[in-house]
Amino acid sequence: MSLMTMIVKMSEGLGKTCAIFFLTLIFSLPLGMIVALLRMSKLKIVSAVTRFIITVLRGTPLMLQLLAVTYGPYYLFGAPVSRNKLIPVVIAFAINYAAYFAEIYRGGIESIPVGQYEAAEVLGYTKVQTFMRIILPQVIKRIMPSITNEVVTLVKDTSMAFTVSYQEMFTIGKQIANSQTSFTPFLVAGVFYYIFNVIVDYVMGRIEKRLDYYK
Amino acid sequence: MADKKTESAANILSIRSLEKSFGSLSVLKDISLSVERGNVVSIIGPSGSGKSTLLRCASFLEHADGGDILYDGQYALHNGVYASKAELNRFRTRFGLVFQNFQLFPHYSVLRNVSEAPILHGENKDEVLVRAMELLKKMGLEGKEKAYPYQLSGGQQQRVAIARALCMRPEILYFDEPTSALDPELTGEVLKVIRQLAEEKMTMVVVTHEMPFAKAVSNRVIFMADGVIVEQGDPREVFDNPKEERTRQFLRVFER
Repeated sequence: MSLMTMIVKMSEGLGKTCAIFFLTLIFSLPLGMIVALLRMSKLKIVSAVTRFIITVLRGTPLMLQLLAVTYGPYYLFGAPVSRNKLIPVVIAFAINYAAYFAEIYRGGIESIPVGQYEAAEVLGYTKVQTFMRIILPQVIKRIMPSITNEVVTLVKDTSMAFTVSYQEMFTIGKQIANSQTSFTPFLVAGVFYYIFNVIVDYVMGRIEKRLDYYK
Repeated sequence: MADKKTESAANILSIRSLEKSFGSLSVLKDISLSVERGNVVSIIGPSGSGKSTLLRCASFLEHADGGDILYDGQYALHNGVYASKAELNRFRTRFGLVFQNFQLFPHYSVLRNVSEAPILHGENKDEVLVRAMELLKKMGLEGKEKAYPYQLSGGQQQRVAIARALCMRPEILYFDEPTSALDPELTGEVLKVIRQLAEEKMTMVVVTHEMPFAKAVSNRVIFMADGVIVEQGDPREVFDNPKEERTRQFLRVFER
């Protein structure tokens, strides 16, 4: 198999790689905020349970979580394994990344001086107005570098979908590597991920720059 | 009884037997004071005396444990029990607070810092913006409306904070050590603005360490130490002829 054929075949999986990437971000970024707010809840039981869930999600391999979400329902309830593997893959990724984002959000929210809340309170801002208008914009600016880190990691993590045989780019590359006893597909995959992350870096850099209008 | 009512109505703010402690540490003990419309009251005293806590209780940032807080003769706090949330929100529109560290919103332009709150309260946007621009001009900040807080000096930031508080059209304005975070050469411009407000008969309570300023602008000076009001009265009396030894001891430090 020529290099060109390999590249073409693997490119066919790029759409699915992108699907995992974008769907994970779309779901995990807001979900992470909900988790962060639960984690900071004044109700001890809520924050304790949330904290426990976060430690489990961050403390066990993503690969294990992928297998659990994809095949768990079959082993537990005899439910059929979903034919479209994208659903369990995105669920596992979104939950896992939400746990990481939640901790980033929490750190950001806790770094805002209490005086900002007090100033807003005296000026009659409601709790929701204070959070949405005063706190959140400042949090987003502060956490952008950490978010960029996670997004770069996510690009590479999409390759883990091979564990449940979801036909994204890396899974196809691995199949070619096995059938052709060749290492070349892995090099191709490496180049693909690198280019993807160069783009991610550029886009995130632009966003950070747009938030640079104040200090 | 009728007399008492008219007396308290002349006062924008009345505080009676206010109590506040943090854990086992009692920081306000049986504090009573009132502020008449158009008056400037300065609160002086050593750090840790409870001055700031008193202002923070009056502006509901700190939860008092006992006593009364009245605005215009109406109870915001009655025998240690607060009025409903909705009522407290209504009381909140009566006062403004200027913080030691300004607490401007860094991601907002100067104009938005000053104008957003009244607009959120449903006031006409154009009217608020005109008012905000006038206030900025009055604060000597003409041409700075598009700047962001980080581009301003501390003195300018504090004047923006004063404009922000005034744009809510409060009946009484609180200052919590408004010049303590400023370089000495910048305190003058902020004190000048407060003095100008005093001349316009703005009702104000100022916690300050600027003794000459307190003496010059105040109608009344309150000296606090260890959570109690030790002495209060006419500024000339308190500064030049203090009755209490604790006051003399405190003021002596500033004479040197």
